[in-house]
Amino acid sequence: MSGAHQQTILAVDDSASMRQMVRFTLEGAGYKVVQAADGMEALELARGASVDLVLTDVNMPRMDGIALVRELRNLDSYKFVPMLVLTTESGQETKMRGKQAGATGWIVKPFNPEQLLATISRVL
Amino acid sequence: MSASTADTALMPTLKLSEDWTPEGQLGLMLGLCEAQMDSAIQESDQSIDTLVRAFTELVETARAVGSLTSNLPAEVKAQLDPSTQNQLAAFSNQMAAAVVAFQFYDKLSQRLGHVRYSLSTLAQFACSRSQMQQPEQWTRLHSTLRRLYRTQEEREVFQVMMEGDGSGFVHASPAPLSAGTNERAAPGEIELF
Repeated sequence: MSGAHQQTILAVDDSASMRQMVRFTLEGAGYKVVQAADGMEALELARGASVDLVLTDVNMPRMDGIALVRELRNLDSYKFVPMLVLTTESGQETKMRGKQAGATGWIVKPFNPEQLLATISRVL
Repeated sequence: MSASTADTALMPTLKLSEDWTPEGQLGLMLGLCEAQMDSAIQESDQSIDTLVRAFTELVETARAVGSLTSNLPAEVKAQLDPSTQNQLAAFSNQMAAAVVAFQFYDKLSQRLGHVRYSLSTLAQFACSRSQMQQPEQWTRLHSTLRRLYRTQEEREVFQVMMEGDGSGFVHASPAPLSAGTNERAAPGEIELF
């Protein structure tokens, strides 16, 4: 990671074990990680904090990942923030909905830590 | 008392109440399957949480050791057994493999959740005899279940079972899907828009 500023990633997933996997993969590479268990919680966190990248699951209670991306893109401070979707879903229809909502990219679970980090550094 | 007598003695007596119907019984049995699955998922979730916590602590300890080692003065580092660095590198690779493997449990939970929801939907459907006798209601049920199964693997199974000749799927045809599963065991695709 370049520069002295520690970049912050918002990781959103309703599975606690998935959040853990994401957290220590990203923290091991020097990122600061904030976590949320659904889109609603993530939106609240994002409004109150400065986040450099959002990594979100799709299927979650209360607010799904695609709705979260759409909501965040409506906020001035998140217009240009990279947003990656990390999901088990690989269907074209859902992927297109994610793209239309404003997602930067689509990663199908399971993620490989090295590839995830390479993708993140590419879009940051 | 022989085993068979004991089995018979343990068998519950079927209560034929006034509102007894075969549809109701079918709904009850499907509800039982759903409850059994729910109980198994909850039990394994607790174990996996413990495993993830233990793994996290292990990783954090290994990272601390790695950090200590790399910050050692050069003269001290030179005295270290060379295999120490190799072991730390090997651990890092194993950690990456474990991260991928843990995610398959998450995927399993998600798929079982979909099966559980299917059973629940089917149980409700089965409660209505008139509904069960209407082909268009079955078509609607198929569509509901098709929308539920969203991973590549689920869609493949749905297609084989509902749109192909699914007879003997479980016993006779694990080979092609197993081959596919092994292929999919590699980390997933990444697409940037």
